[in-house]
Amino acid sequence: MSADCETCPANTALAQMGLDVSAFDHLVALAGNPNTGKSTVFNALTGLKQHTGNWPGKTVTRAEGGYQFQGKRYKLVDLPGTYSLLSASQDEEIARNFILFGQPDCTLVVTDATCLERNLNLVLQVLEISDRVVVCVNLLDEARRKGLSVDTRQLARELGVPVVGTAARSGEGLGDLLTAVADVAGGRVAVAPRRVAAHSALESALQELLPLIEAAAPGLPNPRWVALRLLDGDQRIRQALLNGELNDIAQRQREAVRRFSRKMAVEGAQ
Amino acid sequence: MTTQPAPTGADALLARAEALRQALPENFRDQLVQSLYAEAEGVARRAVHPAGERRRDWDGLLDRLVTSPIFGLPIMLLILAVVFWLTITGANVPSALIADALFWFEDQAAALFTALGAPWWLTGFVWHGVWRGLAWVVSVMLPPMAIFFPCFTFLEDLGYLPRVAFNLDWLFKKAGAHGKQSLTMTMGFGCNAAGIIATRVIDSPRERLIAILTNNFVPCNGRFPTLIMLATVFVAASFPPALASVAAAGSVVMVVLVGVLFTLAVSALLSRTLLRGEASAFSLELPPFRRPNLKQILYTSLIDRTIFVLWRAIQTAAPAGAAIWLLGNIVVGDQSLAWHVADFLNPLGLAIGLDGVILLAYIIAIPANEIVVPTMLMVYLGVGMMTDTPGFTELRALLIGQHGWTMLTAVNLMLFSLLHNPCATTIMTMWKETRSLKWTTLGALGPLAIAFAVCFLTASLARLLGWA
Amino acid sequence: MNIPLLIVGLAALGAAVFAPRFGLLALGRRFRANRRRIQTEDALKHLHACAWRGQAATLQSLAGALHLTLAGAVRLVGALEAQGLLRVAEDGLHLTLDGEQIAVAVVRAHRLWERYLVDEARMPLADVHYEAERREHSRDVESLGALDAALGYPATDPHGDPIPTARGQIERVESRPLTDWPLDTPARIVHLEDEPAALFAQIAAEGLRPGQTLRVLESAPQRLTLSDGRKTFALAPLVAANIFVAPEPVTGTPTARRLTGLKQGERAVVRALDAGLQGFTRRRLLDLGLTPGVPVTAELPSLFGDPMAYRVRGTLIALRREQADQILISDEV
Repeated sequence: MSADCETCPANTALAQMGLDVSAFDHLVALAGNPNTGKSTVFNALTGLKQHTGNWPGKTVTRAEGGYQFQGKRYKLVDLPGTYSLLSASQDEEIARNFILFGQPDCTLVVTDATCLERNLNLVLQVLEISDRVVVCVNLLDEARRKGLSVDTRQLARELGVPVVGTAARSGEGLGDLLTAVADVAGGRVAVAPRRVAAHSALESALQELLPLIEAAAPGLPNPRWVALRLLDGDQRIRQALLNGELNDIAQRQREAVRRFSRKMAVEGAQ
Repeated sequence: MTTQPAPTGADALLARAEALRQALPENFRDQLVQSLYAEAEGVARRAVHPAGERRRDWDGLLDRLVTSPIFGLPIMLLILAVVFWLTITGANVPSALIADALFWFEDQAAALFTALGAPWWLTGFVWHGVWRGLAWVVSVMLPPMAIFFPCFTFLEDLGYLPRVAFNLDWLFKKAGAHGKQSLTMTMGFGCNAAGIIATRVIDSPRERLIAILTNNFVPCNGRFPTLIMLATVFVAASFPPALASVAAAGSVVMVVLVGVLFTLAVSALLSRTLLRGEASAFSLELPPFRRPNLKQILYTSLIDRTIFVLWRAIQTAAPAGAAIWLLGNIVVGDQSLAWHVADFLNPLGLAIGLDGVILLAYIIAIPANEIVVPTMLMVYLGVGMMTDTPGFTELRALLIGQHGWTMLTAVNLMLFSLLHNPCATTIMTMWKETRSLKWTTLGALGPLAIAFAVCFLTASLARLLGWA
Repeated sequence: MNIPLLIVGLAALGAAVFAPRFGLLALGRRFRANRRRIQTEDALKHLHACAWRGQAATLQSLAGALHLTLAGAVRLVGALEAQGLLRVAEDGLHLTLDGEQIAVAVVRAHRLWERYLVDEARMPLADVHYEAERREHSRDVESLGALDAALGYPATDPHGDPIPTARGQIERVESRPLTDWPLDTPARIVHLEDEPAALFAQIAAEGLRPGQTLRVLESAPQRLTLSDGRKTFALAPLVAANIFVAPEPVTGTPTARRLTGLKQGERAVVRALDAGLQGFTRRRLLDLGLTPGVPVTAELPSLFGDPMAYRVRGTLIALRREQADQILISDEV
């Protein structure tokens, strides 16, 4: 998120969500299951530079905070802790819509190393919405006590996004986490997120919708997710499609890619 | 917001999606979750390996202990008692210190005003009215909350509170409520407004509404001093000295139990009548026990809860202080405005076993319950500002001797204090959390009606039996 | 002091009666208009129901359904005919296209609300009809669409009846009453007739739900004996005739145990979630990882024994008895 782009469509969306877009260089969303030490990670990263309020129009608490890393200012927004992003509950709606419409530069998913399987369910769903994702395998200390070790390189290979192991309570791994977030937010690592193949009937329905979505909002980064939500009957996505919000997201994506390739070309020439 | 026309093909896309949805098997969402979890299982299996020795973990043992039919309840009550003891005894000294400091400042400031030649009413209004109201609320409210909330957060972060909700859920289920309501009730002992915000942990709409609407039946720390004062002055005094303190403590516990009873009864009533058609669901995860992070606890409980509640209370205490001062100092005819109003309310007050002054104090104390007793004493003593409780002997002489209080007055005042309408801060919080005029009105007036009905009943019964 | 009080009182009384929006007179007017509309909608719904069942609607049937006198029914029919909502023919009363449209909209609202009350408000099936009768009349297209979406576009109501789509299409499911069903052939309940209420209460009390698979074990003139593989039911033919069934498309799940049967310390594998469990609760249980094939251990009973905490995918999840009873399990393989 570059601060100079005040007319950027996502900035309007963010302003509606009550975020001051001029005060940071990168926007990072923090997702995760409940009880994974998400708030410990949040506190460890932001320290006392945080404040809490509500999501606009909702009675769901939102914590946000900031930190600086390698000369860039980061804004960290704590999403409600959820098990999934598919149901109609207020928390899940807020989380999935922020990742989709807020267009964070990076979504950091905090997981519990002692029950990774349950947490990966959420990670896989986040990967459907965004490819700018870093997975934080937290509570490594607890996992060690239970006699478990987590192969983060294997995980990163399979998920297609950076994976960092941490024990946020003792500060272990937080430096690596910041670097990984900076790399993803700055577009310095190639991500190839894993997408789950649905069972046959759903998959063929999705495949049928994809070209229609490509036609309505060309270049959308996550057409599969949009297709899935349309099949599910998500009113918010429907509305976003009709009022052109989805097109704006696609537009932004195209511009980001153009900027990125120009930058690569300049750097390559030097 | 963007005001472009709908993109080309959007309508066709929506129509196609709708048609495809109707053709999909009805359980396609189930199957989607299933394939996600199947994938997650595979990935996790390949990435997580056993390593090193599994250390003996105490979690299982601890869990069995705190949920055991024999030890579960005693452990819970013991922890609750310890938290209360810490809060009440721990708050005494800082409360007195803060009160002394703030009232000293009041005296100095008032003296300065007088010295500068300010008219008496300006000095009185600003310092003996507004400032005194603020000072009273801050000194009564701040120390207990600064102790209670960190204790609560500690138990929360430890993982004990979900176990309490788990243990008591059966009881609350019978009343159509959620086990987590036990937690929001406990939070209500600190402050009802905080208790209502805490209902956010209940993710089922109906059970959350029930918890919001009934939180008021738990006496908050603004009402506890009234209960303790009455228990000591009236109940304890009618027992032999050896038993006095036990009797006082016992009667406070009794009142709290009556509150719990009303919570459950009203919850059951609401869930079967007005809230029947609201959405309901139950889910509760029992996270593993974890060593709490003390810095984090202090931060969340002090910044998020204590300061927040205090700020809201200050906003309402200042105008209340002003109103009290005006009522006590505007003289119409031969007596203060306060006495005129109290006389007007007296028949209603007597009908429910109280009197006009008490009702007046409750009306003025709508912004903050802490100032009920000082306001009452101000009117009874005929002084122009809120007044601290004198010694117990003088108090008994004043209330019983001069103003005709009886045991009935004391008992009914305890009941009224427990059941009456929530304070302004709490009502505001109800509104913010429900965004519904209907539920806020019910939450504000329902308890008031109950308080009047119950007090009228006890008063009539006592008179019928010749006790009063 | 009494005279000013009197004036204030009179003024308040006057305001209460004549206030433009919330005064008693205005409320009364609105109340009467509302009652007329409700009566109209109920009449159209009755005609629609008769047509759906292939019966003729008559003045008598209308009077019976709406608790009117015959004269009242005549007046109502006259009014509706004048509004162009129905026409009177020799073989009975028929809906016009306009009337049909309103009737279908009311039926849609009714069935969506029933679905909501069962799935989301967790109300017992026997109670929802009455509540939905009340709610079906206060509807606007917008919020009904939102309700439809929030419920996940259900195809049927909790009695198994199809819910009309927003465009007014209704899909008919072929079914036969249980009394016409051959012995020992698996049958899936597709519809429970909810009127008369007394018979329906018996069906609901037995715990029979659409989607359940049954076999008729024995058919005698006084009673039918049924089994769902777990429990046997004995019903009077009069009651059974209100249960409509269709052939079971797939072979039913083998006799399954319920999670409630799992004792502390025992392990099993989840087979499925009961078809009667729908809506948000179903999705939440799935999201918590209770998908078919997952092992569960009954680990920790609470103080009172209910709820019980189960270890699922590494986490302790507390489930109430009613929830655990909706989860089908089998022994580990």
